[in-house]
Amino acid sequence: MSTTVLSASGGDPVAPHAAPASKRDLWIVFWIFPIFFGLFGVIFVLLARVIPPPRPDVTTDQKVQWFAAHATTIQIGFAAVCVVFGGAAIANGYVAYQMKRMSSGPTFAYAYMGSMAVGTLPGLMLVALCFLAATLRPGRQPRIIALLYDLGMLSFNGSLGCFATGYLAFAIAILYDKNAIFPKWLAYVSIWQIVTEVIATQMWVSSAGPYSWNGSIAFWLAVIVFGFWLNCQGICLKLATDRQPAGSRPLD
Amino acid sequence: MQILAEAEELPKATNIKTQLVALWIAAASALILLVAFIAFPGFWPPMSPELTADQVASFYRDHTAWIRFSMVTFNLCGIMLLPFFCVVVVQMKRMATQSQVFAYCYLSAVVSGATLFALADIFYAAAAFRPGRDPDLILLLNDLGWMVFIAPVGMIVAQNLMLALAVYHDNGPNPVFPRWVGHLSLLTLFAMVPSACAVVMTNGPLAWDGPVSFWLRNGAFATFTIVMFFVVRAAIHRQAIEEGVAR
Repeated sequence: MSTTVLSASGGDPVAPHAAPASKRDLWIVFWIFPIFFGLFGVIFVLLARVIPPPRPDVTTDQKVQWFAAHATTIQIGFAAVCVVFGGAAIANGYVAYQMKRMSSGPTFAYAYMGSMAVGTLPGLMLVALCFLAATLRPGRQPRIIALLYDLGMLSFNGSLGCFATGYLAFAIAILYDKNAIFPKWLAYVSIWQIVTEVIATQMWVSSAGPYSWNGSIAFWLAVIVFGFWLNCQGICLKLATDRQPAGSRPLD
Repeated sequence: MQILAEAEELPKATNIKTQLVALWIAAASALILLVAFIAFPGFWPPMSPELTADQVASFYRDHTAWIRFSMVTFNLCGIMLLPFFCVVVVQMKRMATQSQVFAYCYLSAVVSGATLFALADIFYAAAAFRPGRDPDLILLLNDLGWMVFIAPVGMIVAQNLMLALAVYHDNGPNPVFPRWVGHLSLLTLFAMVPSACAVVMTNGPLAWDGPVSFWLRNGAFATFTIVMFFVVRAAIHRQAIEEGVAR
């Protein structure tokens, strides 16, 4: 592995000037990954109350009451999201960076970065905006509050393709890679992530039961697989950072 | 800057030229965006979050033409600034004594941040599309427009943090950007963070029409972008001279 990487950095016009570098820049960016996802968990579970998800099978009045009951924590949580959600871009950017060191070519590294950058808007920001719009004016017409409830939850749990594309790009890049940046088994775990996204399509037609947006299969199974996958990805990212030689750069 | 005749057709000369083209697209777009900013009646003064649904609806009814003009202009030219930030990525990748990781994370944040800007004007423009709509729905579109425009600063936080860290780690003999660019980048970041409170506050300095969330935030971003225009231009010139493409 090191041979390939070093030859790549040797081809870089700036590298000859480079002093023997520390890996501090890599470690700073690496640590943003667990810090961001830690904050993400705290905010989405404890403050914004979208995990566990509020029920899809409730009346308009119950949706209004739900917002009234959780308004303060929703506002604190999603205002914080407005400041820290760039951590997602850094975490995804760092994965793409490590993918760019693979021998499998830059195509899927760029595809991962692109699909995850697109996914941030419907999958993360839109639910925050809908819920903040609902809590900003509790006196809005109940039918408008109910619309924001559905729109927020469906965009958050129902944004499937951006992430499925990212996982597919990730898996393919790992399987073709000969530099062993990430272990092959991580690719197979990523494929299960795609399977959960496909199963989750059912939440668009099912408003109650195991296939709805809070259901045991469409939601909880997906969350468990996601949690497992994310931890594996974080650990493999740590190992890749450990092994990357100081002063080396990704392949062109 | 004078591109040398003998280097004219070399790929490294083209790399310099395309960066300069991106720079001037951004400068022209910034001027057009300034016109759109001045033309949007909702910014003079910024619309208060305390306006009632009927007041907001009548505002869109009374100023439909100017709102449409400014929002279509924002729509068409807002993302024309993106090539400029891509030049920053190219320059960050040139930085010595680092692994280019900041450049990749910066690019990732720039792309996500741009999608939010692209979304904001859609809400304003949709509200102006049928000003006769139910005032409660006009109010909703107006709220969403203001929130998306002012509050989600997280991507700018991420990109300016990456830029500052990259500058601080650029310890070679010929730094790409001067060190104060790192300080300015962080200062801009801190000036913009408080505007996230605009999703919660309906009056005072942190509301979306307040001096902190509106004027400090937008003033800081505009000043930073203008300063970076000259910083990046100087960096491209140094690159051209270092690579023997220009004098």
